[in-house]
Amino acid sequence: MNENARATWTQVDSRTKEMTADAVPPGSHRAVPLDDDAVLLLAIATRRDRQAFRVLFARFAPRLKSWFMRAGTPSDRAEDLAQETMLAVWRRSDSYDPARAGVATWIFTIARNQRIDALRRLARPLPDSEDPSFAPPEPVAPDAAFGAFQDEQRILAALAQLSPEQAEVIRLAFYEDRPHAEIERTLGIPLGTVKSRLRLAMVRLRAHLAEPQHEGRRA
Amino acid sequence: MSHGPIHHPSHDILLCHAAGRLSAGSALVVATHLAVCPHCRAVTRMGEGVGGVLLLEEAPANMAPDALDRALARLDMPATTPRPASAVPELGPGLPMPRPLHDVVHGPWRWVAPGISRIRLDLAGAIPGERVYLLRVAPGSTLPEHGHRGQELTCVLAGRFRDSTGTYAQGDVAEMDAGHEHQPIAEPGEACISLIVTQGRLRMHGLLARVLQPLLGV
Repeated sequence: MNENARATWTQVDSRTKEMTADAVPPGSHRAVPLDDDAVLLLAIATRRDRQAFRVLFARFAPRLKSWFMRAGTPSDRAEDLAQETMLAVWRRSDSYDPARAGVATWIFTIARNQRIDALRRLARPLPDSEDPSFAPPEPVAPDAAFGAFQDEQRILAALAQLSPEQAEVIRLAFYEDRPHAEIERTLGIPLGTVKSRLRLAMVRLRAHLAEPQHEGRRA
Repeated sequence: MSHGPIHHPSHDILLCHAAGRLSAGSALVVATHLAVCPHCRAVTRMGEGVGGVLLLEEAPANMAPDALDRALARLDMPATTPRPASAVPELGPGLPMPRPLHDVVHGPWRWVAPGISRIRLDLAGAIPGERVYLLRVAPGSTLPEHGHRGQELTCVLAGRFRDSTGTYAQGDVAEMDAGHEHQPIAEPGEACISLIVTQGRLRMHGLLARVLQPLLGV
């Protein structure tokens, strides 16, 4: 069994290399209906479309700045990080795969990693610009039901179905450095309750996303 | 191996990982597990989807007037050259190092007690009180019984161990909260190698364990 299990890690390694090498798997675009943001991003990826970048910048850079500021970054630095994130969007556009994530989700993960890198540089001057631990290999999940997890409109709808308390702990998890302890303090509930409430919220979120869709996907 | 790991990090940990809010050590353990667990990758992606929704919901902040021009001016600047791919390091003979660990494991195994050796990891951005290390335990060897003052996360890289909560094999994650006590035993067969992150010092039981504690550095 161990021989086999070792092979598993090796396989993931080689698959990751493939995904990085030919960034967008052939045919994946056709499998997913594209929203406006995805069309813009693919225009950047395929023909370095600067006008598309202008539109994406206008839409996302100000929101990124807000997000960095809410996550505790001062205004000037937040503006720099928003710039860096949008530059990374331009440079890595060919690794965007609409079958795996919505555009906002993809940009969020870049911003998240920018923030982690920035914090690490503060904590210690040693350069460690692309620690792979924060970019885990992401082969497409084999379970088709997980497809819904990529759809931001459906996630938004699922979040709206949570109780206010559950939605609150999920939001706080994104904005606090020591999420559980800070949530404990902010909401005045014990740590064990924070963890169980978060777990329950995640289970309900997954359940809502697994429900069959009644309407067509986003336009 | 047709099945993936059977012991997973809890959903709240996966959500905090997706949010980028785990400590460097905990994030490393989770990333190592994700490398072999499609199930948890999907849950993490759901968390990232929540992050995308929160980003869309942000009220736009005022950017500097020349923000777009500055960005456009930088588009054609060459990106930093990617690091050359180095040879895949090994945990042991014929045992490849999981990818998330490639650049963070340095130095040889150091003996700490009969049947037990360790490599300490020095992570950029580790939080105070957090200890991250690889632990290799000879087949059949027992770790001192200990309790936790903070959370302990373990991902098995090779071999197996068991404690009162179950048996853990390659890729499995054991999550011990403060207050839990356990005495892990490496299963017979091959050495059990684990990646472990602890927050806060362990509470060792027994004289031998307390003598070992400084050696273990936990």
